[in-house]
Amino acid sequence: MTLLTITFFTSNLFIFYLIFESTLIPTLMLIIGWGYQPERIQAGVYILFYTLTASLPLLLFIFWLKTTIGTLSMVLVIVSNTPNLTLLAYLAAVLAFLVKMPMFMLHLWLPKAHVEAPVRGSIILAGVLLKLGGYGLIRVSFVFYSQFPSVNLLWVTLRLVGGAVTRFVCLRQTDTKSLVAYSSVAHIRIVIGGIIISSTSGARGCLAIIIAHGLCSSGIFSLTNIVFERTSTRRIIVCKGLIQVIPSIAMWWFLLSICNIAAPPSINLLSEIILINRIMAWSTVRIVPIIVMSFIRAAFTLYLFRTTQHGQPLNSMYGFNSGSINEFVLILLHWVPINCLILKSDLFILYFGSLIKILICGVKDMGYPR
Amino acid sequence: MWGQRYGVSKVILFSRPAICNLVCMLLARLRSVFIATGAYLVFHAQSFILDFNLITLNSVEYNFIIVIDFTALVFIGTVTLIAGCVVYYRKDYISGDPLIHRFIWTVFIFVISIIALILRPNLIRILLGWDGLGLVSYALVIYYQNIKSFNAGIVTALSNRIGDVIILISIALASSIGRFNFMHTYSFDHPVWQGITIIITVAACTKRAQIPFSAWLPAAIAAPTPVSALVHSSTLVTAGVYLLIRFHSPMQSLGLGTPLTMVAILTILIAGIGANYETDLKKIVALSTLRQLGLIILSIGIGAIKLAYFHILRHALFKALLFMCAGNVIHCMGDTQDLRKMGGITILIPITSVCLNTANLALCGAPFMAGFYSKDLILETILSLSYPHIVIILSIAATALTVSYSLRLSYFSMVHGISGRPLINFSDSTIYSCSAMLPLATLSILGGLVISWVILPNPTFLILPAQAKTMIIPILVLGAIFRVSLWAHRSSISPMTNNLTQNCMMGSIWFIPSLVTRGYTKSALTLGYNYTSTLDRGWVEILSITWFTKSVVYRARSIQTHQNNFLKTFILTFLVWFILALFVSLCINSLN
Repeated sequence: MTLLTITFFTSNLFIFYLIFESTLIPTLMLIIGWGYQPERIQAGVYILFYTLTASLPLLLFIFWLKTTIGTLSMVLVIVSNTPNLTLLAYLAAVLAFLVKMPMFMLHLWLPKAHVEAPVRGSIILAGVLLKLGGYGLIRVSFVFYSQFPSVNLLWVTLRLVGGAVTRFVCLRQTDTKSLVAYSSVAHIRIVIGGIIISSTSGARGCLAIIIAHGLCSSGIFSLTNIVFERTSTRRIIVCKGLIQVIPSIAMWWFLLSICNIAAPPSINLLSEIILINRIMAWSTVRIVPIIVMSFIRAAFTLYLFRTTQHGQPLNSMYGFNSGSINEFVLILLHWVPINCLILKSDLFILYFGSLIKILICGVKDMGYPR
Repeated sequence: MWGQRYGVSKVILFSRPAICNLVCMLLARLRSVFIATGAYLVFHAQSFILDFNLITLNSVEYNFIIVIDFTALVFIGTVTLIAGCVVYYRKDYISGDPLIHRFIWTVFIFVISIIALILRPNLIRILLGWDGLGLVSYALVIYYQNIKSFNAGIVTALSNRIGDVIILISIALASSIGRFNFMHTYSFDHPVWQGITIIITVAACTKRAQIPFSAWLPAAIAAPTPVSALVHSSTLVTAGVYLLIRFHSPMQSLGLGTPLTMVAILTILIAGIGANYETDLKKIVALSTLRQLGLIILSIGIGAIKLAYFHILRHALFKALLFMCAGNVIHCMGDTQDLRKMGGITILIPITSVCLNTANLALCGAPFMAGFYSKDLILETILSLSYPHIVIILSIAATALTVSYSLRLSYFSMVHGISGRPLINFSDSTIYSCSAMLPLATLSILGGLVISWVILPNPTFLILPAQAKTMIIPILVLGAIFRVSLWAHRSSISPMTNNLTQNCMMGSIWFIPSLVTRGYTKSALTLGYNYTSTLDRGWVEILSITWFTKSVVYRARSIQTHQNNFLKTFILTFLVWFILALFVSLCINSLN
């Protein structure tokens, strides 16, 4: 946790990289140490190799940046003249974050890691670690202004199509945790689009959606764990009719599920409106996958909700309590920020953009070239 | 205020679960407050606007606006009236349910979201109410834990989700021109607004269950009957029409009136015919709702906005009543919904049957009942405008069909002898359901007159030839004769013909439910499966992990063979290095 905090505080790209990578160690320990199935070793290998393979080029890129423009401060890098990137440097800069997000086709480690990790691991993974990827992309977003708009186009298209397809995959899942993991793979797509089209409001929308999704998906993960503690299974077909057995928790299931499909008044909705607006302003054709994505997201989220909560409970379940204060507080604290932050949305939307603006204006006033 | 007096006094008398009664009382109170404020506003010609700025991005203001005007308040008054009655009625209908609190609260949230939907001039606010309505109605439809409501719920939720997505897209479109308030937008000439108008018309059609999206409305009757009375009469279905009313002027200028009219007429026809074939009591009522919605859309399509609004209010009253009566009949007939197993309710439950007949007459547009004032005016407006003959003929035929199925409903439940179980324990409805139904029945008789004074203060001026003017009453009679002649010819119970294919097609509103559910589900699931098997567990995994692991292991193994303590390998390695070193040193020497 300390490492994560430092990651967000630092303004130096190298320190950021260092800590970005070192968060992998506790994650790996969480998965391998506290997981409970033999497959956790494989999940550990996946997460290790996927992220390490992609992030080594990032280190090289950072060194290259240092030698080219002579600074690694994020602020100065953004306002300095964008160096002439080669395609290799461009890929090196973004690939690590794209794996961490994770990007479509690079996401295989995520469902495995989520399924094998204990609940704390899942919550940290979904709530913060994946968001590091988005945060990092925002920090290196200057590379998207560079000479490779066609590659940007590739990312966005891949993301939109992949997002739509991954949502169809969610409809086929039989494991609650795996479904939520895939849903966060699908959800995070729109973030990549928002950053890559490189507009200020796009970046703001991304920040908002990162926060919203971090809260929402980790809330649902904790719900799956609450159910798992009672029924000892994550199979959708076995956990049925929970609304009759644990109705209070079923209510939270409903509330968090509808936050996941961007029901008002959650900040998911606000950020999604901003991002869809930006993406459509960028290219109107992208409206088609967005429609499919929004629709199928409702389909699979309701699928998760209704198959677990509705129907006849399994007879083999034995006595359990219907929720402790601890658990309710946990979920409440996930839900309240999502739905109450909307009243003060400039808190998490505006500060980032205005920071950049102030910096750019200040530098411009001092006579530096933009 | 009928309902209020009943509601509050009974709440005080029988206050068992305190929270439920609190909600009940709140709803009853709210109604009179809203109607009184509405009356105040209409007399003083005022409206109030409250504005709350959430965030401003690139001069696009994301605002939270509440507009309180007459239209909204009268609508909310009607909704809360029905909701109050419904919450009251459920005491009788699902009295033994231990989870009754869940039901009450969900209904309460539902009413809150319809209020949120109505008090808005702003696309974002629409989404707030619209999404809320869809999701809460989903929660209400799946209230019963059986497979039927399970399926109906998902059909309802996903059909409404199409509308949600469309509104989301239209918000995105609107923010590209920096304005969400369509109340202050007088010129809709901008191409973006035109696009928004078109897709919002589609969105409204999903909520209004018009033709391609009409599968969910008959399916959603799997909800408890009080919910059907609230959701399928007054609120969910009328949400779309409210939107269309707000958007009517750009819609007309874009020429969307004619396609809307055609869709509406098709819906009317399909629903009318379907109701004549259907044997499920609640489904008949749902189909008649579909048919009335078609009429409302029709009147919007021809530009008679006030009449459409008027008809929504009327329709909400008598349709809620009809659902409640149907619920009582179903309850008393031993929980069967099959029309063929009913009969004789006139003797057995007289109050309910009086209400049922009142609602049916109002539905048919019998003279001077509630439905008459709006329906007659809409039909006369169609006749007075120069529309193609097909439109006129079909709308007249649909009116006759309404009479036909209403008569059929009354016949099988009342005139027909008891054909259900021999031993049924039923009484007339208890005090709860009576006190829920009677106010609505009174309003079904008187309400048309009263509200027409308020909404249409000046008489509508229509010039019609005498034949056209007097045509409506003979048409109603004709519908009745049509139905009676069918009985005279055939003693067979429900269907018009004995042709099975025809019955299936007509009875299932032309296979629309099967088409929209089975048609898409399989392809979506197959796509998911194909993707998983070819990519996620196919070549993406092979390319990344499997290939990587295999190649590493292969190379490691080949290196391992060199380290197996073979003397030959050592000597060979030694020789190679020796020669290499010799060669390098020779090269360096020669360079020197």
